[in-house]
Amino acid sequence: MRDVVVIGAGLAGLTAALRLARAGRSVTLVARGVGGLSLAQGTIDILGYTPERVLRPLDAVAAVPPEHPYAGLGPDAVAAAVTWLRDELGSELLVGDPAVNLHLPTALGALRPTALAQPSMVAADARGGLTYAVVGVRQLKDFPADLVAGNLARSTAPDGGPLGATAAWVDLPARPGEADPSGLTYARSLDDAAFADRFAVAVRDAAGAGDVVLLPGVLGVRPGAGRRLAELIGRPVAEVPLLPPSVPGLRLADALRARVAAAGVRILLGSAVTGFTADGDRVATVTVAAAGGPRALAASDFVYAPGGFESGALAVDSRGAIAETVFGLPLTAADAAGLVGPRYWAPHPLFEVGVRTDAAGRPVAGDKVVHPNLYVAGGILAGPEPWREKSGDGIAVATAVRAAAMIEGGAR
Amino acid sequence: MRRLAADVVVVGGGSTGAGVVRDAAMRGYTAVLVDRSDLAQGTTGRFHGLLHSGGRYVVSDPGSATECARENAVLSRIQAPAIERTGGLFVSVPGDDPGYGDRFLAGAAATGVPAREIPVAEALRREPRLNRGISRAIEVEDASVDGWQLVWGAVNSARAYGAKVLTYHPVTRIDIADGRVRAVHCHDQRRDEEVVIECAFVLNCAGPWAGRITDLAGLPPVPVIPGRGIMIALNHRVVNTVVNRLIYPTDGDILVPVHTVSVIGTTDVKESDPDHLPIPAAEVQQMLDAGERLIPGFRRARAVHAWAGSRPLIRDDRVAADDTRHMSRGMAVVDHLTRDGVAGLLTIGGGKLTTYRLMAEHIVDAMGDQRGERRPCRTADEEIPYAEGSRHYVVTHRLADREADRLDDQIVCECELMSRRMFTDLLHREPLATLDDLRRQLRLGMGPCQGGFCAGRAAGIAVTERVVDAERATGLLRLFLKNRWIGLWPILYGAQVRQTALDHWLYAGTLDIEHLPTPDQEVVR
Amino acid sequence: MSRAEADRLRQRLNNELQRLTLDECVKCTICEQSCPVAGVTALFSGPKFVGPQAERFRHGASVDLSVDYCSSCGTCTVVCPQGVHVAELNSLARAVLKAERGVPLRDRLITRTTLMGRAMTPVAPVANAVLDNRLARTALEKVVGVHADAPMPTAHPEPLRAWLKRRPAPTRTPTRGPVVFFHGCAGGYFEVEAARCAIEVLEHLGFEVLVPEQGCCGLAEQSNGLFEQATASVRKLVAQLRAPATGVPIVSTAGSCGGMLKHEAHEILGLDDPGLLDVGARTRDISEFLLELHDAGELPLDFARIDLRLPYHQPCQVRSQGIGVPAAELLRLIPGLEVVESDATCCGIAGTYGLKREKYAIAQAVGRPLFELVAATHQGLVACDTETCRWQIAKATGVRTVHPIQFVHQAYGLGRVIAPSAVR
Repeated sequence: MRDVVVIGAGLAGLTAALRLARAGRSVTLVARGVGGLSLAQGTIDILGYTPERVLRPLDAVAAVPPEHPYAGLGPDAVAAAVTWLRDELGSELLVGDPAVNLHLPTALGALRPTALAQPSMVAADARGGLTYAVVGVRQLKDFPADLVAGNLARSTAPDGGPLGATAAWVDLPARPGEADPSGLTYARSLDDAAFADRFAVAVRDAAGAGDVVLLPGVLGVRPGAGRRLAELIGRPVAEVPLLPPSVPGLRLADALRARVAAAGVRILLGSAVTGFTADGDRVATVTVAAAGGPRALAASDFVYAPGGFESGALAVDSRGAIAETVFGLPLTAADAAGLVGPRYWAPHPLFEVGVRTDAAGRPVAGDKVVHPNLYVAGGILAGPEPWREKSGDGIAVATAVRAAAMIEGGAR
Repeated sequence: MRRLAADVVVVGGGSTGAGVVRDAAMRGYTAVLVDRSDLAQGTTGRFHGLLHSGGRYVVSDPGSATECARENAVLSRIQAPAIERTGGLFVSVPGDDPGYGDRFLAGAAATGVPAREIPVAEALRREPRLNRGISRAIEVEDASVDGWQLVWGAVNSARAYGAKVLTYHPVTRIDIADGRVRAVHCHDQRRDEEVVIECAFVLNCAGPWAGRITDLAGLPPVPVIPGRGIMIALNHRVVNTVVNRLIYPTDGDILVPVHTVSVIGTTDVKESDPDHLPIPAAEVQQMLDAGERLIPGFRRARAVHAWAGSRPLIRDDRVAADDTRHMSRGMAVVDHLTRDGVAGLLTIGGGKLTTYRLMAEHIVDAMGDQRGERRPCRTADEEIPYAEGSRHYVVTHRLADREADRLDDQIVCECELMSRRMFTDLLHREPLATLDDLRRQLRLGMGPCQGGFCAGRAAGIAVTERVVDAERATGLLRLFLKNRWIGLWPILYGAQVRQTALDHWLYAGTLDIEHLPTPDQEVVR
Repeated sequence: MSRAEADRLRQRLNNELQRLTLDECVKCTICEQSCPVAGVTALFSGPKFVGPQAERFRHGASVDLSVDYCSSCGTCTVVCPQGVHVAELNSLARAVLKAERGVPLRDRLITRTTLMGRAMTPVAPVANAVLDNRLARTALEKVVGVHADAPMPTAHPEPLRAWLKRRPAPTRTPTRGPVVFFHGCAGGYFEVEAARCAIEVLEHLGFEVLVPEQGCCGLAEQSNGLFEQATASVRKLVAQLRAPATGVPIVSTAGSCGGMLKHEAHEILGLDDPGLLDVGARTRDISEFLLELHDAGELPLDFARIDLRLPYHQPCQVRSQGIGVPAAELLRLIPGLEVVESDATCCGIAGTYGLKREKYAIAQAVGRPLFELVAATHQGLVACDTETCRWQIAKATGVRTVHPIQFVHQAYGLGRVIAPSAVR
């Protein structure tokens, strides 16, 4: 029997598994597939909008309403968890101050608030008077340089000052004879120093006026390529995360997964958790759909970090019934009727539905803890749509750290 | 203000108007088609995609059955690329009266609708997901048709014969003097300009909106009663043959494989406003139950989109019931000369997409009668030119095309395999188009992700191609996503919930679309 | 091979859950990120494209031949967070394609693994000499399209069954009950050493090892789209493995073939045979089996030291079983053994993929990160669970590549010390 089974391979699951394995627990991490980190923007959000733009996220965390996932944690715990992650991954991968948001251009030209970012991104942090030389790559369809530059030029920095932008293109195939490489394919090519040098020269020659050269977020699968490019280009360089496959997201995922594996966590991928068995009110085993048939994984404690609606951990059936699909946990709403409506540019209350917990992160039905040895973390928690308020990463890391701490501390 | 002149102005760019403008142009009339929005954006773009074999009507409406069978053959010949010869099956599911099949076969024989009973085992072999409990199966020549391709083909043919087509030109007034039509006034919304078209004839093909057009001519109201029907598209073809219930026509008895999806339809509910057609939850459940009877597991399959269309039914006591000279089944022609004493104005209601060409023939004949001349109709004789030639549509076309060009071109809409070149070619031909206008011709954003990955790409390319600026592109993108949502939220269950969550994550999350600089004015077209 | 057969295949598989899982795809690209083939060549349009995406467009004649560049490594299905059976969809499409267009002679030859083994054993020295001969290999490439540099098996002079007959009966009385041993074609004919070691380890642990006569699992036929032949093969094997005893574990040293029994025959061939499901549920990879003993506290840890830095590669078709990396965990229990886990998705061979002329270069590119890791870290030995992968690694790196059980065998002091190849 293992000490802990962690369900989910996203930011929350990996964080919890790493913390627990480092604390000496035997940990099995089980997931249907790899988590969503490599789909995400590769930065660590804490809180970006309340719905006003947030400049100091920890202050905003201190002021969230009581039903928010941050409310039970508080700014200190959030800061500690996020800082731990930053220091764990190192300054090659994450930099920034959890107390202060950066405002980084997106691949549509919006200014997105986030707390920690990769060093290859931060030169783009918007401040009054800054001008961007946006450079697209003809082979990459998800970085529309003209649209990005056009929207940035229409934007105002959070400090109220103006921004400027120019657009230019380079035409440089990552692999000969391929018109439509993914961003990841391009990034793999940029891991090759000779190709990266050719790329840098092309960008240097093509880029228009601007303080910072803004490039698609494909600057190498390995961290650190941005620095050399900036030297060769002769201007600060910043990369912008693209739609999946997101190379910056993949860098975080790779780094975190490598640490989890090195810490001795047993990782079972391609294994959906389909149910559980209980011993009294405690979870005894979870059932895994392994090749060859179901297997039961027993553990003393379980961390459930499966994501929310995007992963299917929370599901809506054709009659509108909302359910948590493994443990049947109580949710903040059971019926989707009335939670989705005709307005697109508005909150979608369906996606606020989730699990509520006690202060230790254990799911509750009313005030009662459902399973004393089951902790939840990340996107399964009830709360505002994380993608709208830009809070998903901070919630994932902080609640995963909490779950690990409770298990380490023997909270019962 | 611009001034134009024409023999005839056709109001409404749905299938009826497209058929009429082509027919009129081919008979040598100078013709102008006007529509308040894009072509085939109303009823024609909001149906199930079935090109009737006539089977549906062999018992309930034998005349329609015969017309459908004939027109099915004609359209398959002249508009092959818009049509997939899927074939059709009428099946008795448990609970259906198997005796109806005998009435069906007798009706088919009497109406000239090709139909043949096949063994149940053969039907199940062809369509393995059909309800295993079916007791009878009758094979017919149903096909599926892309209403947009049908209309664009007809309109392009009309243009080749000299017709003019003005989209986003809502009619603002119809001038009548001395008892006859003199001119149609439109507003060119894109140039914000008044357009006056002097003409002797106006053919009002505005479908559910026909009453609004006659109002603009100052005529007594024409009562149009929109009959709303909803449709739901599943993510893939759960059947490759049109499947109908072998019963007297009712709701939810048709499942049509069209392009990459399968569409279940439909309902029939009277509405008052064709611009506001709800997709009620109860009707969605009704369709899912209906689908479940045909295909067990239907509820677990993924729905990608739903829509509502309205049948353009006219109920007018003043139309003489015996005056059917220029009528196709289910079609109503209001001659405003006999009804209101106004010459040069005909209003057309009802009809079926399958018989759109025949309806047009009748209407243009009626116009000729009023003009005192009879020029022969040639629309059934001439193939409509399509880029694809005269081969019928098959679902593998785009896969084969991308297999051939994917190393040389980018794929913008991956779900529907729309290449960059397909998009930019049309974009340059239609520089004023919205992304939705382009969608209807290219299927941009119509697959499972509903624009989640491709809509932003398309907007970006439009800027790079110098067709629009960043502000308009942003507005077009926002409009596109808003419009997709209309057909998404009513069927938000199962896998589409996960897709929608991911789409929101990408747009609201990664791209922060909600905080792009606000436009001076919301883009609405 | 005809359209009719293609139709039959579709009908047989159309209703299966594999095709329905295309509805689960949200286009997230995670499968593309992990695909070893799409990572090295643009010729393959990637698992999302040829899988759930293209499947919506398939009806009637196949038009997308590039699906044949899929190597069937199964990684896409393992990593998919939405439960799409991407690899299975691809396998189906490829099977239909081959039914329509015919299968090249080469695919038929290289999939007949037992036949090749049987045919070559009596003349192993000759066969090996021929296979080592450049001229002969070049001729082989021209005739049947097997690349001249592709790794080919070396037939063992003594098949496993001959050894079983020859060796003295085990002296220890079993203390733990019986297990059925599944050695696969390679264990029977080519890689007899791994099979012998496994049997001796299991007997050392107190198991009674039953080794029924056994044929090919059909995996190679299946991954080359020969579904009917594969079905016949696996059905026969299932009967053979069920014959000696009911309900006992079936322990396998054939990493990929174990996956065929556990899930691929069910999920790709669409076999719903109760016998197959029974065998699948009982099958354990040998490392998985020993690690389960260890988790239960029943594995003796009286291992002798092996002071060695050992690169270990988990084959894609073992990874796709969702069992974690039991061999690495097991090897780490041996004192002195420093296991360097390859994080390469695939060695490139993917069963028979890398043998083919038009795919040889792709397979080598897929394997390159692994070969580089081996070159940088090895001390004369590599460990890997599947025979074709071992041949690929050994051929590409020149380093002797053996089954992990051989180290366990050595650590238990059961006789042989594995001789390393010369360290370059």
